Amino acid sequence: MSDPGTDLRHSPLDEAHRVLGARMVPFGGWEMPLSYPSGTIAEHQACRAGTVAFDVSHLGTVRVSGPDAFATLQRTLTNDLAKIGPGRAQYTHLLDEVDASVLDDIIVWWVDEESFDVMPNASNTARVRQAVGGTDVTAERAVIAVQGPQARAQLATVVPEAASVGRFRVAPFSWRGEACVAAGTGYTGEDGVECSIPAAAAPAFWETLMAAGITPAGLGARDTLRLEAALPLHGHELGPGITPLQAGLGWVVSWSKAEGFRGRAALEKERANGVRRLLAGLSTEGRQPPRAGAAVTRAGERIGEVTSGNFSPVLGHGIALAFLPPGVTPGTAVEIDLRGRPVPATIVKLPFVEKKKD
Amino acid sequence: MNVPDDLNYTSDHEWARSEEGGGLRVGITDYAQDALGDIVFVQLPEPGAKVSAGDSFAEVESTKSVSDIFAPVSGTVTEINQDLTDAPQRLNEDPYGEGWLCVIVPDTDGAEPELLDADGYRKLIES
Repeated sequence: MSDPGTDLRHSPLDEAHRVLGARMVPFGGWEMPLSYPSGTIAEHQACRAGTVAFDVSHLGTVRVSGPDAFATLQRTLTNDLAKIGPGRAQYTHLLDEVDASVLDDIIVWWVDEESFDVMPNASNTARVRQAVGGTDVTAERAVIAVQGPQARAQLATVVPEAASVGRFRVAPFSWRGEACVAAGTGYTGEDGVECSIPAAAAPAFWETLMAAGITPAGLGARDTLRLEAALPLHGHELGPGITPLQAGLGWVVSWSKAEGFRGRAALEKERANGVRRLLAGLSTEGRQPPRAGAAVTRAGERIGEVTSGNFSPVLGHGIALAFLPPGVTPGTAVEIDLRGRPVPATIVKLPFVEKKKD
Repeated sequence: MNVPDDLNYTSDHEWARSEEGGGLRVGITDYAQDALGDIVFVQLPEPGAKVSAGDSFAEVESTKSVSDIFAPVSGTVTEINQDLTDAPQRLNEDPYGEGWLCVIVPDTDGAEPELLDADGYRKLIES
């Protein structure tokens, strides 16, 4: 077999995925698993009911360290790092200076007093590094996201130190003598832990998770899971021309911090004038997946466009995110144009699927 | 990949089985269902619909994409697999059996359909 992915980067777990029979696809400059032989729907259900592991090594890790690290991040990114501290994680945005578009959405792991691991989306790593400096250490580690209602219990059988990290907490741990980091973060709407493991040790760590009975899951399930949880995907709900306020993520923006943030002036204007569109959830009755780019109409008039859509494995019908005029409230009946056929849809509150209460 | 010897195939990865009474039962191949991934929705024509060989007459959607299904022959749809409305995963589980799509009765005045035999289809998917 020829390798179609010679220009693509490969995870330290690449061989392990192939042994498991994964279907590999290009994603953000990397070749990553789309699904394993059990398929996207089974992987999705396993994450809602038990525990799955995703290889998310394609996410970047930009290490920003030193006495200026805090100040640099604090004046560049939208969220307020002063609200957290070392040993905690925060979701934040990098905005365009001119129009306050979201250049990237990022998780920051505040690993140690003067050391931050800034984790951009794969294809935005260079752009984020340009903005905050630091060192790209992506190639040195694998990141494995262990997610699901049983994630902590299952992980505890392998590495109890990592399993006990709190939600949005960050903690170092040691595995077979290797220095690793665990964070109580994820992208599925379930509880879980993301583990950063030195590249050389990562295949053995992954093997141990598999041996513990954790289900491997690919990008296909990651996408349907994050959609049910209404978590934004850069390039769909965030990106050029889209501000955090339009995406309904005002909570990511700190107006009160003295340092400000890049793009503040532009975003302030939008805040004063009001947003012209707002991210909304749509639900259809049938199984047909709404798709990105589909027009949303109301009484025959086009009012917006789907940014992400799919079949919801948990709900058993179509769901979609779309930018609509701000006044369109839950309960409103609209139509989505699916390949020339108008399909009735209803505006619903987000998320589509709530995490089960303990 | 499973390619049963007793079926005919199109280069677009549909199969066709001759039935008693002259109809052709039609579905998608094992290769096609594997490439599509988990199928979540199937759009079929109504019984009575006329279809033309090589034209799209149905759609199959997986979690990742939409695919057109092309008619292996020109004719009239006489039967559709209603079970697929609620259980489209039958296409993944049993593509040559419970995952059949429809029965088409070929036009009597139509040209002989150009279909591949099992060996011909195997060569196609192995190349």
